[in-house]
Amino acid sequence: MTTRSFSLRTVLIGWLVLGLLVAGIAAALATYHRAREEANVLFDYQLQQMAASLTGMPLAASMPPGTPPGADALVVQVWDRNGVQVYLSQPQSRLPQRAQLGFNTIATETGEWRVFSMLAGEQVVQVAQPMSVRRALATSMALRTILPLLAVVPLLALLVWITISGGLRPLDRLAAMLSRRTPRELEPLPESGLPTEVTPLVRALNGLLGRLEEARNAQRTFIADAAHELRTPLTAVDLQAQLAQRAANEQERAAAFAELAQGLERATHLVEQLLTLAREEPGVTERPMALVDVTALVQEVIAERASLAMARGVDLGFATQEAAQPVTVEGDRAGLYTLLANLVDNAVRYTPSGGRVDVAVATDAHGASLIVRDTGPGIPEEERPRVFDRFYRAPGTTAPGSGLGLAIVKRIAERHGASIELGPGLPPAPSDPPGRGPGLGVTVRFPPRSAPGQPRLTTSRSDPIEGRDRELFASH
Amino acid sequence: MRLLLAEDDRMIGASIQKGLRQDGFTIDWVQDGRAAELALSDHVHDLLLLDLGLPRKEGIEVLTAMRKRGDARPVLILTARDAVADRVAGLDAGADDYLVKPFALDELAARIRALLRRQTGRADPVLAYGGIELRPATRETRVRGEPVALSAREFALLEALMARPGAVLSRTQLEEKLYGWQDEVESNAVEVHLHGLRRKLGSDVIRNVRGVGWMIARPREAPP
Repeated sequence: MTTRSFSLRTVLIGWLVLGLLVAGIAAALATYHRAREEANVLFDYQLQQMAASLTGMPLAASMPPGTPPGADALVVQVWDRNGVQVYLSQPQSRLPQRAQLGFNTIATETGEWRVFSMLAGEQVVQVAQPMSVRRALATSMALRTILPLLAVVPLLALLVWITISGGLRPLDRLAAMLSRRTPRELEPLPESGLPTEVTPLVRALNGLLGRLEEARNAQRTFIADAAHELRTPLTAVDLQAQLAQRAANEQERAAAFAELAQGLERATHLVEQLLTLAREEPGVTERPMALVDVTALVQEVIAERASLAMARGVDLGFATQEAAQPVTVEGDRAGLYTLLANLVDNAVRYTPSGGRVDVAVATDAHGASLIVRDTGPGIPEEERPRVFDRFYRAPGTTAPGSGLGLAIVKRIAERHGASIELGPGLPPAPSDPPGRGPGLGVTVRFPPRSAPGQPRLTTSRSDPIEGRDRELFASH
Repeated sequence: MRLLLAEDDRMIGASIQKGLRQDGFTIDWVQDGRAAELALSDHVHDLLLLDLGLPRKEGIEVLTAMRKRGDARPVLILTARDAVADRVAGLDAGADDYLVKPFALDELAARIRALLRRQTGRADPVLAYGGIELRPATRETRVRGEPVALSAREFALLEALMARPGAVLSRTQLEEKLYGWQDEVESNAVEVHLHGLRRKLGSDVIRNVRGVGWMIARPREAPP
């Protein structure tokens, strides 16, 4: 594909003129040849008639020698029986003195001649004519064919110019319309009144405009939602601060400040979640993918949340077999940390005191998965598709939260090509508190790193990619 | 005056409840639209503070249904939606006032007082009847120009009676003005507080209509 720009007009006119010229020349050549053939037949007949009409005439008397050459420059010679020339119409002509009977073409110093000789009684009559006469006729006929064509070329060029300008005018209009637009004006361009050749371009452009508009609307909705959602914790903080100011004594003030601190914590959490979500927006940050040890990651996240879980009376732990080998996935460590932290935070937050939260890691031929299961209230089937929406909080939710956790989890999973499944929580256990909920189980399934059915590798260790695959399936 | 607060955010709800209690209002708090409708059906509240983003039933639906039923109690919308279109929609749906979060508790209390005042057809912020003046904004009471110190409950009782002078309020009605859902209603509390009021304002200010309730009465003119 060339990137050089070119003028449609120039290219079109160039090819058109070239084509016309070639066609004209071909036509002229054909005309020339046909004219030559026809002239040959015609002039030969003329020579024959002429020779026939000359027989038996008293030549010497009627046609005195020295007659200047006529328009058709015919040369007549007559010989008697003994080969003595009795007549030569143009003595200056240098034609051979003898000739065969019938038609002949002979080359002389003055060019080619067409000669017809016939025996007429006691005499041989010969009529000769230069071939140049025939050529001139053919040439003039050929020229007559090509000249009108040549005259038409500039006219055609002009017509092409006008047609193309007319055809391109809608494009100029489109360009003018587009250049006048502000970034906010993303309405589709009109598709009517355009040459069919241009329609696919306009349609594609409209498609792009539509997608831009969608993206912009999504962003606008997000900003409106975010503004609304930010206002709620800020209102709470504001009210708590007002109550702290009103406090009549030290005890009331201390209580008010404790509430204010909680409010601030909530507002901070929301802002952090919003920023995380914005960072996970596709195309915002391109973080390199690396090998992440998921087992270590799970242990880290659990260790950090252990005291919080304990304070809430929730038994948080890593459900894994003894001596489990490390499970690794290719991914962005910070993103995977956020994903896991959100899942564990949610589980700990929603699980009532006395409940359990188990995090597990698994690998099989289909790839690695992360599973977080709890003994909380669970999510009803009909709510499940919506819980990944930003700011969505299930009706009746009492635990504090930003409504962004699962949206963040989904975004990060998508970036890793992983799927999320919501399923049942932990199976009932004797230690469960009475009236425990069905629980929730979230499974994040990472895509396989090689084709299913051939997870074990036989290639050399020096291959970096294959080497990684081996690690991934090491615990398989 | 007893208010109903419909607000789903726990922190905001708790703060508003606490703040308005300090301002002398009795306030009940519900956290979703259905609970709000249930509470409204008791007809014990004088005013509804309504958040628009309520779970189970949107605030605006609660409001529309309320007006459709012919319930004319004042409604003050509390919301984080600040677009002009939202305010217009809220007011057009039958709200009496609109306060955008975040707001000052003092302003909220002032707007509530203004709405309650207008509800009883008064323009004057001072409740005055028979030589008694009540200023809900500052919680001051004067009898014939002399300031009188009243307890919060006594003030609330007097305010309820003075809001509609001449109307007889039953013990239940008065108790409803004094106590929210969480409050333990003390037996004889109304009588105790009425006794206190009579002692401070004069024995003939509050009249007992036997078997029916109490009303506020113009002090008897001195016999000619």
